[in-house]
Amino acid sequence: MMRSLRQRRHRLGALLPGLIASIAIALPALAHSPDPSLSGSLFGQDQQLRFRWRSGAEPPSALKTAIRAAADDSNATRASRAATFVYDTAGTNNIGYGTGTCGVNGIGCFTRTAPTSFTMWLREHGRPFDWGTLRWCQMQAEPTNGCYDAETIALDEFGHVEILNHHVNYADESDYTDAVVQTFSRTRPKTGWNMHTYGVCDTATLQVKYDVPTLSSPYSRCLDLTTIVTLGVNDSSIAFGASVDFGSLLRVATNSSYERLSANPLGKRTVRLQRRAIGSTTWTNFYTLPSSTPTGTYRATLRLFETADFRTAFSAPTTEGLRGDTSAIIRVTVAPCTSNCPDPLTAQ
Amino acid sequence: MPVRAMTWAAVVLAAVAACVGSGTPSSTPTPADPSTSAPQATAPPATASQATPIPPTVGPPVGRLAAEGGDPVSGQLGTYVWRDAGSDSPWLPGAPVTVGAGEPLTVSFDPAIGVASWRARLVPADADAPVGATLLGQGVGDPAFQAPEAGSWTVEVHVVFDAGDASYFWRLEVT
Repeated sequence: MMRSLRQRRHRLGALLPGLIASIAIALPALAHSPDPSLSGSLFGQDQQLRFRWRSGAEPPSALKTAIRAAADDSNATRASRAATFVYDTAGTNNIGYGTGTCGVNGIGCFTRTAPTSFTMWLREHGRPFDWGTLRWCQMQAEPTNGCYDAETIALDEFGHVEILNHHVNYADESDYTDAVVQTFSRTRPKTGWNMHTYGVCDTATLQVKYDVPTLSSPYSRCLDLTTIVTLGVNDSSIAFGASVDFGSLLRVATNSSYERLSANPLGKRTVRLQRRAIGSTTWTNFYTLPSSTPTGTYRATLRLFETADFRTAFSAPTTEGLRGDTSAIIRVTVAPCTSNCPDPLTAQ
Repeated sequence: MPVRAMTWAAVVLAAVAACVGSGTPSSTPTPADPSTSAPQATAPPATASQATPIPPTVGPPVGRLAAEGGDPVSGQLGTYVWRDAGSDSPWLPGAPVTVGAGEPLTVSFDPAIGVASWRARLVPADADAPVGATLLGQGVGDPAFQAPEAGSWTVEVHVVFDAGDASYFWRLEVT
C-alpha cells in the first residue's frame, strides 16, 4: 500500500506541470538587424585598451569627463567579451580634441589598428560648420536644444573602435535606439540623443565578433539564432515504476555566420521535457529539466508508469535572440505492472 | 532490469538561421563647395610643443554630381568609414546645385573606384535628418537617378565601396 501511494503521488506530481503548460511557439527577433561590422581585425577578447589625452590636443575638462563616462558605458554594456577601455596617463591610445582625422564635416572620428591601438577625436565646441555651430551639451552651463551629447558621441566612437559600422535603420527610424553607433547622431532633445548604453543591435555584433561573457549570458534580441536541443535517455525499456535518466543538451546551431557564437552551449535556460501518450497527437509539458551545469546540459531522473513518447522543447525566449527548438522523439516502453499495482483510474 | 549506458542522441536540425528622365539639359550647377574635399590629416590646436603626431588618413573619394551638359559639383562628404578609420558627421545641407525637374543626374568619383552599391534619398532642404526621406534610387555601379519635382531638396547618396562607405550631400534647387 505504501509503495502504491508513493508511486501515485510521484506520478501525479510529475504530470501536473504538463497539465498546465502548453507548447510555446517560436517568435521572430523583435529588433532590426545587427550592426554591420568594419572589415579590419579584432582586438583580443576582453583586451584592455588604455587611453590618454593627446598631448597638445587635450579635451576640456567637461569633455574628458564625458569621454571617460563613455568608456565606462562601453565596458558596462558591451554584453560580450569585446575590448574594454580604461583611462591611464601611461596609455598608448590617444584621444584628442580638434580636427584630427575627422575631415571637414566630422564631429567625432576614430582610427583603429587592431589588436594594437586606436585613436579618437572630438571636434571643438563652438566650431562653425556648414550645417551650423557645433555645441557639446557638456560644455554648456544649461544645455540647449540642438547640442550634441559628448558621452553619446564618444560611445559611438568606442563602438567603431571595437569593430562596429553604422546601424542600418528602418526608413522611419523607429528602431533608432537599437543602436548608438549611428550614421547620423541626434541632437538634444530628439529620441536617442543621449544614449549611454550600447543598443541591442550594437551588442548583437559585439557578441558575434567577441562572444558572450558566459554560457548563461543573454543573447541580444537583435540576433535570431537557430538553436539545437537534443534528448537522450539511459534506458528506453524499463520495468513498471522504474526510473529513467533524461538528459538534454541545448546549444546554438553550428553556423559559420554566427562566428564566435556558433555551437555555443546554452546554460541556465528553460528546457521542458514533453510527453505524448501512445495514440495521442498532443504534446504536454511534463517536467522542466533543471540546468545542472553551465555547459548547456539539463538532466532529471523520473519514474515512469506507462509507455509514452518524450521530447525536449526549448521555447524562444522573448528576451533573447534565440529561436526555439524541439528534440527528436524517444519512446520509453514501460512494462506492465505485475504486483501491487495502483488503481488504473487514479494512476492516470 | 538491465541498465544500458547513457547515450545522448545528437540530433542536428540545421536551419538557419534610376530612372531616366526627359528633362532639358539646362542645369546651371554652382561651383564646388570648398568644404567638400576628401578628409585630410590636419594638425590639432597646437597648445603644447610636444604634440603627438597624427598619422595621415586616406578617406573616400570625392563625389561629383552632374546633370546632362552641366559641370559636375562636388558633394559634401558626410559620415564615412574607410578601412580602419571613420568620421561621424551630422546630416548635411549639401553642396548647392540647380537642375531641372526630372533631369537625369549621375554621380562619379575622383579617384574613380568601383562602387559596390548605392542608395539616393531626399528630404526637403530645411530638414536636418533623414526621417521620412524619399528613395530616389538605388543600385550598383556609379549612381544615376532622376531629379525630383520642383523645389529645394537635400539629396544624400550613400555609397558602398570595397574599402568602406560614405554619404555625400547636395542641395538641389529644382526648377
